Amino acid sequence: MIDSYRYIGKETPRRDGAEVVTGSAEYVDDIRFTNLLYGEVLRSPHPHARIKQIEKSKAEVLGGVEAILTWENVPDWKFGTPTIFRILDRKVRFVGDAVAIIAARTKDIAREAARLIEVEYEVLPPVFDMEAAMKPGAPQLYEELPGNKLPLYAPVLGPKSLTEIVMGDVEKGFAEADVIAEGTFGYENIPNPLPPEPPSAVALWQEPNKVTVWVSNQQVWLNRKILSEIFGDNVEVRAIGGPCGGSYGSKVMSWQVQCYAAALSKATGKPVKVCFSKEEHLAAFVLRPETRIHARVGMKKDGTVTAISGKWLLGTGYYSMTTQAQLSVGAGEAQIAVRCANWDVKPTIVCTNRNASGIVRGFGGQELKCALIPLLSLAMEKADLDPFEVLKKNYLKPGDGYYWRDGNWYSYRGVDYTKAMEKGAQTFGWKAKWKGWLKPTALNGTKRTGVGVGIHGNADIGEDVSEAYVRLDPEGRAVIYSSVTEHGTGQRSNCIKVVAEVLQLPLEAVSITPSDTLITPVEWGPAGSRGTYAILSAAIAAAEDAKQKLLQFTAPLLGVGMGDLETEDGFIWVKNRPDNRITWKDALELRTVLGHGRFNPDYSFANCMMSFVEVEVDTETGKVTLLRVVNATDVGQIIDPPGIRGQLNGCLGTAGIDSALFEETVLDRATGCVLNANMIDYKWRTFSELPPIDNVIMETPFPSHRFGAVGIGEVATSPGPSAVLMATSNAIGVWLHEYPVTPQRVLEALGKVGSK
Amino acid sequence: MRTFTHINAHTVNEACELLGQYRGKARLNAGGTDLLAMLKGDIWPEYPEAVINVKTIPGLDSITENDNVLKIGALALLSDVAKSPTIKEKCGVLAKAALSVGSPLIRNVATIGGNLCQAPRCWYYRYPRRLGGPLPCLRKGTGPCLAVKGDNRYHAILEGKGCFAVCTSDIAVALAALDAKITIAGPKGERSISVVDFFQPLGNTLKIDEMIKDFQIPATMLSMEQRFLKFTLRKPIDFAIVSVAASIGLNNGVCTDARIILGAVAPMPFRAKAAEEKIVGQPISDNVAAEAAEKALANAKPLSMNAYKVEIAKTLVRRAIKGSTAGLGE
Repeated sequence: MIDSYRYIGKETPRRDGAEVVTGSAEYVDDIRFTNLLYGEVLRSPHPHARIKQIEKSKAEVLGGVEAILTWENVPDWKFGTPTIFRILDRKVRFVGDAVAIIAARTKDIAREAARLIEVEYEVLPPVFDMEAAMKPGAPQLYEELPGNKLPLYAPVLGPKSLTEIVMGDVEKGFAEADVIAEGTFGYENIPNPLPPEPPSAVALWQEPNKVTVWVSNQQVWLNRKILSEIFGDNVEVRAIGGPCGGSYGSKVMSWQVQCYAAALSKATGKPVKVCFSKEEHLAAFVLRPETRIHARVGMKKDGTVTAISGKWLLGTGYYSMTTQAQLSVGAGEAQIAVRCANWDVKPTIVCTNRNASGIVRGFGGQELKCALIPLLSLAMEKADLDPFEVLKKNYLKPGDGYYWRDGNWYSYRGVDYTKAMEKGAQTFGWKAKWKGWLKPTALNGTKRTGVGVGIHGNADIGEDVSEAYVRLDPEGRAVIYSSVTEHGTGQRSNCIKVVAEVLQLPLEAVSITPSDTLITPVEWGPAGSRGTYAILSAAIAAAEDAKQKLLQFTAPLLGVGMGDLETEDGFIWVKNRPDNRITWKDALELRTVLGHGRFNPDYSFANCMMSFVEVEVDTETGKVTLLRVVNATDVGQIIDPPGIRGQLNGCLGTAGIDSALFEETVLDRATGCVLNANMIDYKWRTFSELPPIDNVIMETPFPSHRFGAVGIGEVATSPGPSAVLMATSNAIGVWLHEYPVTPQRVLEALGKVGSK
Repeated sequence: MRTFTHINAHTVNEACELLGQYRGKARLNAGGTDLLAMLKGDIWPEYPEAVINVKTIPGLDSITENDNVLKIGALALLSDVAKSPTIKEKCGVLAKAALSVGSPLIRNVATIGGNLCQAPRCWYYRYPRRLGGPLPCLRKGTGPCLAVKGDNRYHAILEGKGCFAVCTSDIAVALAALDAKITIAGPKGERSISVVDFFQPLGNTLKIDEMIKDFQIPATMLSMEQRFLKFTLRKPIDFAIVSVAASIGLNNGVCTDARIILGAVAPMPFRAKAAEEKIVGQPISDNVAAEAAEKALANAKPLSMNAYKVEIAKTLVRRAIKGSTAGLGE
């Protein structure tokens, strides 16, 4: 860490902090509109059915109802991967699928109208299991997707997106192995990231071809891009983002919600608001993909992984927008976590009659790791190797390479994470706690403790493009033009920090525009952990460009070359001659300076997070309690200490570590209903049960941008779940193969109750 | 929420009269913590025409002790029950049960009477209209119990007949262990019934024009050792997966008298008489506790996904008898 920074690495107030904690921040549902209508969705009671008839006359005559749209009269907008998914279709494919959308003058009228619509269905047999869905004769969700299998290609990632992990010669690898382990692990509990603010949008369609959408999303420019693809480029889409009440990936995009609002606005000519209720958010928005891997792993006695071969099943529910991209990124991440010369891992993406999977922190990689690390562990167990040592040894080192999501090979040019891992192990006390495979760390009456370790890393920290403008005003102020929304990480405040650092201005003298695509340049937004490197690089470059233009303009006024000038707090002076100075105001008079910054994708960096966990298992009740977590990473340079602590402390929830303990979406295989779409039955950790979390954050400068930092936030959730599975298995002396580790599964593994 | 008539009742008689007038199409609102969730979820086949507010009836929230009877008004808040010095001293099991309900915010508005009258905590019964519901089921008068072939991890392991939803009222379990009586008011005056008899397989004995007025706990139970254990996945907020309340009379380590009630294992609070018989007259030991626990669950018939509840129930009974509270969210 460099001490000479004015703001970088220092605790500074979040720009939006006061608004958020005093309740004055305006989320989508808080914005006032004239003539606003409320949108409501009528949802299917069947997991799979064809709509025979919709009788909406009773609803249409209800006072205050202004539009009812069904598959028969909604615009034929389609999206997804492939582009075959309609916003309202003639078929419904999960319990809760949209059948009709209604706009009315009040929420209650819209709800009442939904009650009055009569729908006649031809009920079709559903399929909920991934393997069953692929069998001949299984119910088919889409004519376009025979066998319910989706194409693996992800157009958004370029023409040759990574669709498998295949390299080397696995047979040769297995021949070199000292041990070979084989097994199946599943991470199939489809947890919900569940940000506090539900998916919401307000749309105003102005005929013939202009639409403005107010969104509650993480990535505003991406919303504009996607909506433009759906509506057609002849429609001018303006997306406006405000504070985003959490996203954790899930609200990168909510095109259905936005399309409902847009279609209803197009039909009525008035602004329409659609805000999902908590139950809709839980059962009819997006979940984690489900993963089941059957694989063989070859390993040498020194922990070298010689071969991995297997089948990776990815379940996406009734549709996919990003599951293919999650597969690509996950496949890349597998190579980052496990140096292995011989791979043959072939994925399949399957559709079933449940709510869809979408983006969640860990983007494909967490889902893969939750099965891959236990599979590696089986081999470690056979070779009697300490998992910490094996994971440390096999993680990406400088000079190693990987096929990344775009199908290209990249050579890693970041730091070696070994030291961070070792410091993490020391902080946790790993050496003293590790007693060997399937051995508890301690016994205390009916209780046993166990430890586990997991790892994850992502080369997304330099993914995609960012642009920013920085405008310098004569009064010694700067304005950042960026569409970055504040989704909780402090990204906007960090943009302000780096720009203030570059320009040496007081923080209060730097402001940032609203996230409005009419005003701001292109910006992929804070996806993955790209904020610190990608987004900040654009802001830094824009500030540097503006500064250069300012000094270039001022140099002749002071009779020196621009290289001789420095600026701070709105003054410009000649180096070593502080008396020879001029204010920005005197230099610029009635003039502004505009700098432009752009970041182009760079996949040669990957971050790394290792998580250690200790659990206690009550062998009489099967209850597993998380006692402690230690996270270890190296981020080059901390930008904002409370911000990074918040990100890493977020490892439990948002479908993270707790998805191994109790978080799950309960899909009833008999009815197809999500049974726990409420905050009592969906188990979400409460604040009174937070375990101690220690974060080891090292700062070895990266050759990234001028502050040498890289992002880490996204992956905080990802190494933990497999660590919990490992720790629980060690505590009880039996391998668990599924998540979460419920009392039922633990007692079954202990042989205390029969398995179902 | 849909439109309904809201009426403030000022006396118990007035509330009962209104209930009668609406012929089952009105609901009482005390704390409202459960009622509002039911109304928002819009899960009943018929939406109530009226909500009768009983918070406006004065004096129904008192906690008094007279003639060796502790009387608790139906509108006493769970937070008041949990912190009442009299209740804490004389019937700790009830204070503990009250403290285990929900969260501070819920306990500050939820009432003891409302806790007994909560709708069943079954995720099929409560499936919301907004997600393609409500789901017809036996409890609602149409079709079979969906838990039998579905996800029944939280459902009944004992005494399920037709409907396998469990009674998760922590208060009922504690009151049953205290052998409490319920005073029920109706148009024909008042009647008294034991807590165990109050519950029926598909609900409770309240007629459409009756309401709970108060609870009376006999002094004989107050001197016994009282224990309450509740197994949940999360310490706060969660409803019991299994709970046990026990009143155990002890004389020099020998059990003289016992009432052991299990919650969330059956459609009604389940009195484990076989376990009680096993320990009365015995010195309390690990073996006796273990044998009693086996007896308590001897008739358990778990469904496809809830055999684990039998083990947890046995553990809780054992621990309740032994007086151990280790690791149960205390």
